[in-house]
Amino acid sequence: MKGDKEIRHRPHWFEQFLEGWSVFWQNPLGKIGVTLLGIFALMAFSSFIPPLVNPMYHPMTGVDPEIYSSVGPSARHWLGTDFMGRDIFSQLLAGARIAFMVGVSAAFMSIFLGTAFGMIAGYMGGFVDTLLMRLADVIMVLPTLLVVLILASLFGQLNIWTIVLIIALFRWPGVSRVIRSQALTLKQRPFIEAARVAGASHIRIIFRHIMPNVLPLAFLYMTFRVTAAIIIEAALAFLGFGDPGTVSWGMMLQWVWKTGHMFKALYWLLPPGICISLITLSFYMIGRAMDEVLDPRLRREETAR
Amino acid sequence: MKEETGTSFLSFDGVSKFYLSRGRMLGGSGRQVVALNRLTLDIRKGEIFGLVGESGSGKTTAGRLIVRLEEADRGIISVEGQDVTHLKGKRLKDFRKRVQMIFQDPYQSLNPQLSVLDTVSEPLLIHRVGDRLSRAEMVMNALQSVGLSPPGDFVHRFPHQMSGGQRQRVAIARAMVLRPDFVVADEPTSMLDASISAQIFNILLEMQKSLGITLLFITHSLAAARYLCDRIAVIYRGNLMELGPADDVIQRSRHPYTRALIDALPKFGQCGETERFNTFLKAERESSSTVGCAFFGRCSIANRILCSQEVPPFKTVSPGRRVACFFAEEQGKNLTASKTCHYGI
Repeated sequence: MKGDKEIRHRPHWFEQFLEGWSVFWQNPLGKIGVTLLGIFALMAFSSFIPPLVNPMYHPMTGVDPEIYSSVGPSARHWLGTDFMGRDIFSQLLAGARIAFMVGVSAAFMSIFLGTAFGMIAGYMGGFVDTLLMRLADVIMVLPTLLVVLILASLFGQLNIWTIVLIIALFRWPGVSRVIRSQALTLKQRPFIEAARVAGASHIRIIFRHIMPNVLPLAFLYMTFRVTAAIIIEAALAFLGFGDPGTVSWGMMLQWVWKTGHMFKALYWLLPPGICISLITLSFYMIGRAMDEVLDPRLRREETAR
Repeated sequence: MKEETGTSFLSFDGVSKFYLSRGRMLGGSGRQVVALNRLTLDIRKGEIFGLVGESGSGKTTAGRLIVRLEEADRGIISVEGQDVTHLKGKRLKDFRKRVQMIFQDPYQSLNPQLSVLDTVSEPLLIHRVGDRLSRAEMVMNALQSVGLSPPGDFVHRFPHQMSGGQRQRVAIARAMVLRPDFVVADEPTSMLDASISAQIFNILLEMQKSLGITLLFITHSLAAARYLCDRIAVIYRGNLMELGPADDVIQRSRHPYTRALIDALPKFGQCGETERFNTFLKAERESSSTVGCAFFGRCSIANRILCSQEVPPFKTVSPGRRVACFFAEEQGKNLTASKTCHYGI
């Protein structure tokens, strides 16, 4: 391959990305979503700073030596303290990190499973398809929260990663349905037939020809799955089945409720509640904007005046 | 039944293919659609063989059976005497190295996510031909020979960065890069405009000459078939209607269906008083799909009793020339095709 270096062709995916990004950024939902998410990411990244400033700002173990009950915001504790004198602001930052961790890893795992099963079911068809899709149906009709609650009461307190894994295992069927239908239409496309005529194996066709064409859709669904995972984790924690060793927003809400500060300490109740709402909202808005990028039919026409 | 010179490369022997139409799932009796009905023909080594027919005539099915995108329900397809109808596993893979296909729609037959280099080198990769460098070399050569030059300009392009004609050249390069013995070209120009079509035809002709490839050219246009092919077979609803050398079939067509297709071509040049054959009935006649001539329903010269009850034999009317019509001899008498009349693609 000599002499082709000077003709620079941007990689296909990069060009697609740039084009998609401009559509994405024109959408107000996308703009707001990304901005919000950026703020939360900043919170998550800076969550390690407060404990460095002063050990009493450690979200889990740091206790202000002079405070033994919940007090309102002050210069020393920007958002006040909880019932035993821990700083709420630093807990909020740590909660952002946990939310990202839980949301992204659970979503990633469920997308991975859903995409793999969906592609295999759609491409292979027949018995494999029936088997995988019936399994998906069964899991889809199980109420996730209830099952996790039952598991938690059976095995005691669940580790945060166990919770992530359970969420992932319960959330792949929806994705796999969508990916399967996409794989079904791709399977009929002549370029797949061309690969078969060339002698490509099933594995090769799935990974080389089908996967790159379903990945954008998988990423879209990932944003929605992040939302679902964060909400489930928050609900679990609030109900008292969370990981006691981590500070998540759901955990904070549980502490508010358990110590009877529900309507007495709004400075403690509101921040985690608002954060949960806003982070799920931001992922949802990003998903909606991405939807528009991937499905040109949703794009608004520029109205000429 | 082999005629004349040339050894047979690929032969269909009574090949049938049926599709079940919807309704079978719900317990109803699925209606069987006959895509190919006992197709028997030989394609000779090194020739360009044209398979002509309208949409739904089964011509594409024939091509797909050869490259094993589908399997025949009845009959035998053999390549150089070897039965390839139901090959499996490694032998199928070896077979696929020898037989390639060019698809109809270049906008659909290339993976939008793969570059030209990836697309064209994929067959080489699958069959483990050469190393990385020699594969790139082969891709370059293939691109050069389909007229994409300099090939360096094209290797890193993606399908959406090329025109329809360029895409189809890439598809041809992909089919030719393994140096196959046999290529099925399924209406390779139906999505392209006329001037690009002519270029594609010339590329196919050149490839066929330089590589000694046997080509099955599937088309709906008799004019394109005449330009490109040595021999033509006309097919209607899965049944072979007429077979013979390209010029002969068009200038002295004997089957009413072939004539109807000729009528449908745009003409220019000194066509003079070329009569139109007018062989299509205005309205389709009731006909049973199981008995009688397949074309009976639309034929204007048919004998109501004979043609609706008996299948016309595929008889030889002159050496290398076969027609499935009871009236083939009569039709052969009054032929006034003008030599200076041209048919458009």
